[in-house]
Amino acid sequence: MSHADTIPVRVVAVEQVTPQIKHFRLAAVDGSRLPAFSGGSHIIVVMNDVDRVHRNPYSLLGVPAQLETYEIAVRRMEQSRGGSHFMHDSVSVGSTLEIAHPVNLFGLSKIGRKHILIAGGVGITPILGQMEDLHQDGVPYEIHYSVRAPEHAAFLSRLQQRAADRLKVYYDSSGHAIDFDGLLSTQPLGTHFYVCGPAGMIEVVLAKARTWGWPESHIHWEQFSAPPAGEAFDVHLAKSRLDVHVVPDQSLLESIEAAGVEVPYLCRGGVCGFCRTDVLELDGELIHNDHYLSDEERASGRVIMPCVSRARCKKLVLDL
Amino acid sequence: MLVTGIKSKPVYTPLAPDLSGRYHLMVGHGVGREPLLRVLRDLRTAAPESGARTRVLFVGSPDEHSASDEVFRSAGAADVRLFGREDELLTDFQDVLTSSVMGTRLYVAGPESFMGLVMRLARQFNLNKDEVRAEECGAAARRVYCMHCQTATENVTTNIVQCKDCNRWLLVRDHYSSRLAAYMGVMVDAEAPGERPEVKEVFR
Repeated sequence: MSHADTIPVRVVAVEQVTPQIKHFRLAAVDGSRLPAFSGGSHIIVVMNDVDRVHRNPYSLLGVPAQLETYEIAVRRMEQSRGGSHFMHDSVSVGSTLEIAHPVNLFGLSKIGRKHILIAGGVGITPILGQMEDLHQDGVPYEIHYSVRAPEHAAFLSRLQQRAADRLKVYYDSSGHAIDFDGLLSTQPLGTHFYVCGPAGMIEVVLAKARTWGWPESHIHWEQFSAPPAGEAFDVHLAKSRLDVHVVPDQSLLESIEAAGVEVPYLCRGGVCGFCRTDVLELDGELIHNDHYLSDEERASGRVIMPCVSRARCKKLVLDL
Repeated sequence: MLVTGIKSKPVYTPLAPDLSGRYHLMVGHGVGREPLLRVLRDLRTAAPESGARTRVLFVGSPDEHSASDEVFRSAGAADVRLFGREDELLTDFQDVLTSSVMGTRLYVAGPESFMGLVMRLARQFNLNKDEVRAEECGAAARRVYCMHCQTATENVTTNIVQCKDCNRWLLVRDHYSSRLAAYMGVMVDAEAPGERPEVKEVFR
């Protein structure tokens, strides 16, 4: 997706909703309505920082029918590469940002008969949009929301207002945990579940689901990886005839973009598969951090997802 | 006249156990008995403990019944229900689907029209392709849905059939509706009344 496809927006409201999460409301700078989206969608927010550009994916958590503003929530990451700190420290009411059009990689199954929404921490954000869609459609659903402690339960009043009788909140601080066995062993046919949260939580849920015989078509999860830092390396772009140096705290995709080469992307978090790039030559090893490629593809050393993956190598040539 | 290669025509494949499932629900009609017994035995071999979570619903002639209950049980099914009529089986099947939980795999074996009716119910419960295995055996006779009066004619074995309700002559297409569990029939002599191709038996 090219830079020209972005929509300039202005921040119209900011609220600190938990010690670590800030809620932002964005409106188009030209006052027009924003593009329609469905529950579970995300946008890429483009942040022009002092010395670099951050492009981070954030779920849209508002009501899909209300398009005067978009809502996102940003958790301050302890090991931020700059994006979440920029949003927390440098963005306030009146700031302008650019956003890409919404994309949904975590959509609801339209033929599901019941939906179980499972969130851990800031993973509640896509669930909020899904809740609005389900409320609108009148389809049975439950929300299971796990947080560290009451002060970390973002958007609790909004959840209670819309789905009080369908909501269960679990506080680690009180020793409450979601009973995944109980939850996944008793659902009627046609149930789908959706999980968004920390990697460890998603792993547990997926493993439990398989134990209880859930088929893949009823399992939905989303986790955007921030691109992990690593050692610096060099890459040659064959078509563009460019040499690019990737510094430790910049992703391969960001480095390629900074050199003026555009790579198609949707999520920048290792999920969507759009930035998949062929590796033409490699002397060393690829460090895959995505959730997209198959084990065979990873092992082949011939393809990489530059949004989150890196290399430890003497030589790397990409088909770009 | 018939368009071939229509994608909606159901494709069924031989049954095999799906060990990723926790509960196994088997539904069969007449000659569907053999494929069900085969998959029951394969399941017992691969996962002996799964028998306790296996249920069979079967409709057949009285002769077929006398031996079936014991045959299915000895092949490993914990729960066997036999029916004399297809509609009785379908009613019970719907109740079973209502009380079943996620983790269930459905295995279906029988003639074409039976398959369609079972698959339609399964679809209403949002059982997806990765939860259902179906093997067609026995009669290929079709349920044909009249596009004009919107009724279904059962047990059609010919390329052209007269609608039982409106008496129009219908060309039986490969165009299949899983919602209606029937192949589409369209009036064959609408342009030139009375001019009909030869009627041939093609679905046996």
